[in-house]
Amino acid sequence: MSERLLIIVVAVLASLVIGLGLFWHPDTAPTPVAVSPLPPGGDFTLQSADGPVTLGNSRGKLSLLYFGYTYCPDICPTTLTALTAGMVLLTPEERARLAVFFISVDPQRDTVDHLKTYVEFFDPGIVGVTGNPAEIAELATRYGVFYKAQPAEMAGAAYVVDHSAETFIVGPDTRLLARMAHGTPPDQVAALIRQYLNQP
Amino acid sequence: MKRLSFLFAALSLSTAAFAGAADDVVVHEPYVRLAPPNAQATGAFMVLRNTGSKDAKLVKADNPASRLTELHTHINDKGVMRMRQVPAIDVPAKGEAVLQPGGLHVMLIDMKAPLSEGQVVPITLTFDDGSSKQVDVKVVKMMSAAMPMKHGQH
Ligand SMILES: [Cu+2]
Repeated sequence: MSERLLIIVVAVLASLVIGLGLFWHPDTAPTPVAVSPLPPGGDFTLQSADGPVTLGNSRGKLSLLYFGYTYCPDICPTTLTALTAGMVLLTPEERARLAVFFISVDPQRDTVDHLKTYVEFFDPGIVGVTGNPAEIAELATRYGVFYKAQPAEMAGAAYVVDHSAETFIVGPDTRLLARMAHGTPPDQVAALIRQYLNQP
Repeated sequence: MKRLSFLFAALSLSTAAFAGAADDVVVHEPYVRLAPPNAQATGAFMVLRNTGSKDAKLVKADNPASRLTELHTHINDKGVMRMRQVPAIDVPAKGEAVLQPGGLHVMLIDMKAPLSEGQVVPITLTFDDGSSKQVDVKVVKMMSAAMPMKHGQH
């Protein structure tokens, strides 16, 4: 009799656990990244301090692209800090299969050497690239990136650049896979990178 | 011990020039973001808590490390971040203003020299009643987007 009771108790407990598993979804999954359809994205060849860089030559790597500028005091450093903190969570093998590019939307001011010093402050593996204004404009259009220099409000102040603040995840075939919103925390950055690294 | 003495220094050095809003507004957890050595600008962040019964307005900030100091905010316009100067930052009576990455900040523009981690930047805050106070703000290398602390809603 007591054995039967025990079985019932176990059965009730088990169904509770299964029920919880089915209906309780803690917020641990990466946030959905592509709400609207993804822009075409695709390949680019731009200049870095170490010579020209072609995205399609990344030798099977997954790439992260971020469009920003080095004069950016807050948004770009916040993103680069979050990306770097996410990269730290990867295994060395995963890290070796990832390329990270900082693409300047301020080609007038950001030289390749300036970009290199700037991005290496965050992680020596990040590559800063730029091109002529027409190349940058064409690439930004393909990635749905908006940017616009704003005149300074005070005499003597340099201009700031309004810009889209998401990070793009691009496959080894230069196909745009996903976007990460500004402010995506490092653990979600790592989870998303992993998700696309492990996706055929 | 070193940390403790820094705390004491921070407390004793945040002196008010004269009474008024500067006395009522207490500055919590201020920090300047350590920027890449060749960055021309960086941000200072802090929580301004108004312990008084009168609304206060921060109208000006100044510091000796950069040629310009401005009060700024960010407007997130469908994913496009637009940084704009603001004429003032409201600190309501018994309330607070949170200056944090992605939003309100004191912007240090046109750095005279690169800042180093741990360096202290004295920032003078001036309020709409003319009162002002100096806050000694440490330069911090941020380790993640949420560093050094994350503020919830109050
Ligand atoms: Cu600013």
